[in-house]
Amino acid sequence: MKELRDLARTLLADGAVKVVIGYEEGPRGVRPAFITRPEHAERLIFDARCTHCLPAYLSPRRTHVAALGKPAVVVKGCDARAVAGLIREAQLAREDVVVIGVRCGGVTGDPTVAELASGTVAPRCDACDAREPKLADHVVGPALPAPPASDQPDMLARLEGMSAAERWEFWQEAFSRCVRCNACRQACPMCFCERCVADKTQPAWIESSPHGRGNLAWHLTRAIHQAGRCVACGECQRACPADIPLGLLNKKLAHVVAERFGYRAGDDPAVPAPVGAFRLDDAQEFIR
Amino acid sequence: MAIPAEKIESFEPRITAFVCNWCTYTGADLAGTSRLQMDPNVRIIRLPCTGRIDPLFIVKAFERGADGVIVSGCHPADCHYTSGNYHARRRFALFKELLEFVGVEPGRVTFSWVSASEGQKWREVVNDATARVRELGPFERYRALAGRPA
Amino acid sequence: MTGARTITHDNLAALVADLAAAGTRVTAPARGADGKVDYRPIASLAEAALGAELPRRSLKEFFLPASEPLFSWRQEGAKVDLRAVPTEFPPHLVLGARPCDAAAVEILDHVMGWDYRDELWFGRRAATTIATLACPGVDGSCFCTATGRGPESTKGSDLMLYPIDGGYLVEVVTPKGDALVTAHAARFISASDASRPVSPDPGPRTPDPASLPMPAIAEWLARNFEHELWRDIALRCHGCGACASVCPTCHCFDIVDEPEGVTEGTRRRNWDTCQTGLFTLHASGHNPRRDQHARIRQRVTHKFSIYPAKFGEVLCTGCGRCARACPGGMDLPEILGRIAALAGAASGPEAAV
Repeated sequence: MKELRDLARTLLADGAVKVVIGYEEGPRGVRPAFITRPEHAERLIFDARCTHCLPAYLSPRRTHVAALGKPAVVVKGCDARAVAGLIREAQLAREDVVVIGVRCGGVTGDPTVAELASGTVAPRCDACDAREPKLADHVVGPALPAPPASDQPDMLARLEGMSAAERWEFWQEAFSRCVRCNACRQACPMCFCERCVADKTQPAWIESSPHGRGNLAWHLTRAIHQAGRCVACGECQRACPADIPLGLLNKKLAHVVAERFGYRAGDDPAVPAPVGAFRLDDAQEFIR
Repeated sequence: MAIPAEKIESFEPRITAFVCNWCTYTGADLAGTSRLQMDPNVRIIRLPCTGRIDPLFIVKAFERGADGVIVSGCHPADCHYTSGNYHARRRFALFKELLEFVGVEPGRVTFSWVSASEGQKWREVVNDATARVRELGPFERYRALAGRPA
Repeated sequence: MTGARTITHDNLAALVADLAAAGTRVTAPARGADGKVDYRPIASLAEAALGAELPRRSLKEFFLPASEPLFSWRQEGAKVDLRAVPTEFPPHLVLGARPCDAAAVEILDHVMGWDYRDELWFGRRAATTIATLACPGVDGSCFCTATGRGPESTKGSDLMLYPIDGGYLVEVVTPKGDALVTAHAARFISASDASRPVSPDPGPRTPDPASLPMPAIAEWLARNFEHELWRDIALRCHGCGACASVCPTCHCFDIVDEPEGVTEGTRRRNWDTCQTGLFTLHASGHNPRRDQHARIRQRVTHKFSIYPAKFGEVLCTGCGRCARACPGGMDLPEILGRIAALAGAASGPEAAV
């Protein structure tokens, strides 16, 4: 913690950055912090509650953050993939951000829950190979042991075992709770479009009404637009006030992307995204 | 949802086909000028290229009452714009899996490459897609997603 | 109005069964497929989770649904056939509402009946009887007492229930509540001497709700349209509508025409939120609330200054759902605490942030 605070203090005092985007203690668990004065670096913390994917705040549409000046951002190894994604898709220049990587021992997925156990650990931490952050200008913190394995049921396998009609019922029940608050989109580090297709009204490709038809169109679109882009930070699902298991849609497509195109959203910005690229010999067994 | 028996008996599938201008549309035209008989259930929407076909077109077709959708364009290496069909191939490989994952039966959406000389193949694509959708029945559960005043 | 009564669990279950059999819709907090509590239709009391955790969403959707048709149309040549929606509704009982959710509905009556009387809102209001359960306590994000409410607040309720051994103490609040009790008198036992159980202590909260003076906050808001507080708190805001979607009093809506084919369509009213850019975007492209700080300012000012100035009470019941739902850690009680501190400081010599 001291290492992180000292680094933030130095970066701010030297004028290397104007704001350090990190984590602080909030009234209700950990929350994002925007430290602009060296003396406030004491507020920075890092522990298992720090589940938020802070590179979301680097998107050019975050006008208030951008107005502060050059940022440093605290990232876990998994979050570094979001920084890489923003660079890959020309939303951010590498030299315009200082990346502070923190060594991670897993997170709980809930900013109010500190204890890492098989029932609380975020499922995305299973078999994580990014606990030592890459792409970082500075890496801080002690190396931590791997978190316990999640005992959450494998919902993806369960869904894949269902009939089409059962899957339809499952998703319709889940989507019926959606009121289109757009928290999934807004909290996502990789949803950075200046104007979302869901906000277009002439024509309204996606109906804004939170009925089954509009909700299905929205969730299909969000999922397909994130295919090969999603960094599996889990923010969409955490942000959803209706607890819709949105991460399942992303996870399904991530598997398809890996199987078909041999691609995984990683921390190297130079590797092109799979949608927007192609190979002459891509499999086409589904086309007659 | 139970669909009344009489509705199934009189069911004629409505199928929307999104096709590229250069290959499949011309192939479909050839099928017509060759006077090939085929199921009359397909309505064609011509686009410049399969690379122009957004997955939302498929969603919109279902929203507006299609029971099935065909997406068809130039064979690999034949794209008028060099690579539109390669991009489409990746996009629809993903979208097909996504549709199935949310519970849309695979038979509702057909993908094909039909060249300008393949009038015969277009007929087969149309007849097969129509037969499959006929078997699946009307896509009532999609249309029922938004309630409205009776 | 008549005095207190009690009802046993068995009799409450029988009452729910009677009402359901007679065609009354019954809604209560209940667990869904995902294990979470929402207000849901129930067919029997066994499905209800009375006194469980705070329902995920508030009661407002039973009076202002997230999406509702206003009318549909069908065009044939020059003839347009409009099909209206009914504005009368079957009888409805909400059982086990939270006091904060019941109060919100009554607070919203002001705006729904002000310059135009919203037929759909008041149609549902007229059909609905709200039986509120005195609050069993929630967590540190609750601040109802700051907004003039409390665990035993009767505002918006027709009946109040207090848990006692084997059942509930029932207090009649309105004639509508009295009518329900009278119609099913056999299910109740008169208990004029019964005393209310003591509400549980909600525990310590930050800020202390007692330190949030609503009049001073309203006055500060009216004077500080431009203040660096807004840009500061806007930093972590994602600009989504999670807060508004779970809020019992956020009531803004959008109206859309949705074609369904070439000649048919439906006009709908959908929940909307001032937290998005699209909410105020003009057709010209101009947006009077271009940045997120202006949208947060709008939400706070509307709730704690504009609404009380117009209708005499704050547009908030202190349920704390916004703070719990926010993915960015925005916290309305904390924001109000900062405003209260600023309002206090403004009268002293150090009026700085």
